[in-house]
Amino acid sequence: MSAIGELSTITRRKGPMTKEEKKANGRDNKAAYVFLLPWLLGLAVITVGPMLMSLYLSFTDYNLLQPPEWVGLDNFVRMFGDARLHNSLRVTFTYVLVGVPLQLAVALVIALVLDKGLRGLPFYRSIFYLPSLLGGSVAVAILWKQIFGTTGLVNQVLAMVGIEGPGWISDPNTALGSIILLHVWTFGSPMIIFLAGLRQIPVMYYEAAKVDGATTLQQFWRITLPMLSPIIFFNLVLQIIGSFQSFTQAFIVSGGNGGPSDSTMFFTLYLYQKGFGQFDMGYASAMAWFLLVIIGVFTAINFIASKYWVFYDD
Amino acid sequence: MPVNPQGEAVAPVATSTTGAAQVKARRTRRKLRASALVAATAAAVLALTACGGGGSEAKSADGKVELRFAWWGGDKRAQVTQAAIAAFEAENPNIKIKPEYGDWSGYWDKLATQVAANDAPDIIQMDEKYITEYSTRGALLDLSKYDIDTSKLDQAALDAGKGEKGLTGIAAGINAATILANPAVFQAAGVALPDDKTWTWEDFERISAEVTAKSPKGTYGAAAYGTDEASLGVWLRQNGKSLYTDDGKLGFEPSDIAEWWSFLKELSEKKAVPSASEVVEAEAAPLDQSGLATGKNGLAFWWSNQLPALEKAAGGELQILRFPSKTGKAADAKLWYKASQFWSASSRTKHPEETAKFINFLTNNVKAGEALLADRGVYPNSEVREAIAPKLAKADVKVVDFIDQIKGELGEAPAAPPKGAGAIQEIVKRYTSEVLFDRLSTEEAGKKAVDEMKSAIS
Repeated sequence: MSAIGELSTITRRKGPMTKEEKKANGRDNKAAYVFLLPWLLGLAVITVGPMLMSLYLSFTDYNLLQPPEWVGLDNFVRMFGDARLHNSLRVTFTYVLVGVPLQLAVALVIALVLDKGLRGLPFYRSIFYLPSLLGGSVAVAILWKQIFGTTGLVNQVLAMVGIEGPGWISDPNTALGSIILLHVWTFGSPMIIFLAGLRQIPVMYYEAAKVDGATTLQQFWRITLPMLSPIIFFNLVLQIIGSFQSFTQAFIVSGGNGGPSDSTMFFTLYLYQKGFGQFDMGYASAMAWFLLVIIGVFTAINFIASKYWVFYDD
Repeated sequence: MPVNPQGEAVAPVATSTTGAAQVKARRTRRKLRASALVAATAAAVLALTACGGGGSEAKSADGKVELRFAWWGGDKRAQVTQAAIAAFEAENPNIKIKPEYGDWSGYWDKLATQVAANDAPDIIQMDEKYITEYSTRGALLDLSKYDIDTSKLDQAALDAGKGEKGLTGIAAGINAATILANPAVFQAAGVALPDDKTWTWEDFERISAEVTAKSPKGTYGAAAYGTDEASLGVWLRQNGKSLYTDDGKLGFEPSDIAEWWSFLKELSEKKAVPSASEVVEAEAAPLDQSGLATGKNGLAFWWSNQLPALEKAAGGELQILRFPSKTGKAADAKLWYKASQFWSASSRTKHPEETAKFINFLTNNVKAGEALLADRGVYPNSEVREAIAPKLAKADVKVVDFIDQIKGELGEAPAAPPKGAGAIQEIVKRYTSEVLFDRLSTEEAGKKAVDEMKSAIS
C-alpha cells in the first residue's frame, strides 16, 4: 500500500479497525520509528539532554569553574528579589506586547495590498520578505545602530528639516522603541503566510457579498478577517514565542550590555550576562526555565482564547 | 541563542493550496496545532544553556605538542604576539602554539565557557579583575611549581600574580592609568596643553570646556570618565579611599562615588565632555574608533600601554599626561604601577611543562621582548627591558619614559581586586548613564551601585 493511499484510508475511516489492519499499522509504525531514528537521536542528544542538564543546574549554584552545588529552590527564590530581572521582564513584555501586534498589523496590511493582484507580485513579495531573512542577523543590527545613531541617517534627515533628533539607540527613552521598530520591519514571514491565507478564501464569498451590496470595509470585517483568523492565530503564536526569545538585536545594538541604563535589557540578555559574564550559571538556568514557563502560559492563553475568536471553516 | 521558528511556519501553509475547502481547513487546523507544537519545542530549546565539549586535542600526528594561547587585544597586539610565537617555535620545533584572540568584551564570556566545558586554552592572558576569580576556584596552574625564572622580575610585578593558590599569573607588563592628549585637537582649538605636573581637576574642567567651546560641533575637550572603574580608583585614592580593601571588601562609601559622579555631571553641564547619548555610543566603540583616535576628544582616559596602538589609529602623535590632582602636586595624583596583564596557565593543561616553557620564554627571553616590545606595557623583567631599549619605537619610548618619570610620585600599591571584581565595570558603567541621563540623583545612584557592588564581590 502506498503511503498516500494509507493516508487517505486513515482520513476517510469511519468504523473501528480490524485486527489485520492493526497489525499492518504496527509494522508501519516500526518502520516509521526506524526512519525517525536519526532525528530522535538528535533530539535526545542535542535538545532533551541539555534541557535536563539545565533543569538540574537550575537547582544548583554553578559558577562554571567548579562543580555545581545543590541549593534547592534558592535560584527561583532569588528571582523574586532581583530588581534587574523584574526590569528585564518589563522590557521583554513591552517588546512582545507592542512589537508583535504592530508587526502583524503591518504584515496584514502589506499582504492585503499585494493580494490585490499587483503586477510583478513575486518581485514585491521577495523584496518585502528580505528583511525577515536579514532582520535577526548581526549585520542588520549593526546597520540599525548606524542608522539610529546620534549622527546616523535618521538624524541627518531630521537635521535637513531643522530637527535635532536624539541618539535613538543611546537614549534610554527611545532605545527600546528603536529595537521594536527593527522587529516590526521584519514583517516578511507573517506577511507571506497571510498572503497564502488570503489566497485560500473562496472568491464566491466576496461575490455573494458584492451582490448583497457590502462595502469593501464590510467585506474585510465580515469575510476576510474571520476567514483569516486561523492564520492570524498561527502567526500570533509563533511571533509571541519568537519574540520572547529575542536576543541578537538587543545584544548587538546595546553592545551586549542591555544599555543604556538597562533600557534594552531583554530577559534573554540578562540571562546570558548572568550565566556567561557573572559566573552564575545556576541562576541563568533557572531563568531559562522561568522563561519556558512564561512562554508556556502565554501559548496556553492563546490557545484557550482562540476558541472565542478563531473561526474554522469546517 | 533564540530559535527562529519562522522558517518552519512557511512550509505547512504554502503546501496546502489545493483541495476542497473543507479538507483544507481541517488540515490547516491540524497543521496549525502541529506547528504550535514545533514552536513550543523551539521555545524549549532556549533552555540549552549548558554546554558540553571534549578536551582539546593534545598531540598532533607528528608527535608535536600543540598548545593553545588566548589573549584579548587589537590588530597590533596580534601582529607582535604572532612574532613572539614564531620566535618560540623556531627555538622549540616540537611545540606548536595555536593563537586564539579577540576583543576584550567577548573574551571573558568565551573563556568562562571554555573553562566550564573543560576546554580552556593552555596559556591564558589574564587580567587583575578576574585572576582571583579564576585562581581561587582552581582554574589556574600554580606556576611556581614549574621551571620559570622569576628572579629578574620587579618585585611588585611578581607579587601582583601571587594569591592563596600560589603564583597563578606572571605579569606581562607594567602600566599606569593616564590621560592621553591629542595635540591636534588642542592646536585646532588654539588652547595650550596643560602642565600635568601642576594641574588640578578644576584645571581639567576649565581647559576641557575651553577646547569644546573653541572646537567644531561634535568635538569635546575630554572624553567622559565613568565607563570603567580605573578612573574611579584614581579619584578614590586621591580622596584617601580605595576601590578595594586588603581583605577584599569595597574601600569606599556611596557618598564617595556620588561625589565622583557629581563632578562628571558638572563636566557634562559645562560641555567639557560629550552628551549622555554620545557617551553611551562611545562606550561601544573599539580602540581605533575611540574619540581620541578619531580626533573628537582632546583628552581621554587610557592605560599607558595603549598609547602606541592609539597613535597608530589616530595617525598622529599623542601625549601622555598624569592625572590631575586635588592639590596641583604630581605626588598627590596617587598613581600606581599596575600589572597590565598576566600570563596564566590552565590548571587542566595536559602539558604543564611545555606551557611553563612558553611562559618562561615570554617572560625572560630577549627575543620575545624584541617582538612584544611595549605593547603589553613596560617589560617587568629588568634585563629584557634594557636589552630591547634600543629597539623600541618612538611611541614605545614615550610609554617607557613616562612609567620611569612617575616612579618617585607613586602612591601605595592598591589592594588586589577580589573575587567577583569582573562585574564592577558593568555596574559603574550602568549607573554612570543613569546619572548622565538624569534618571537617578548621584546619591541614589551611589547607594544602589554600592549595594550591587557589595553583593557582586561578596
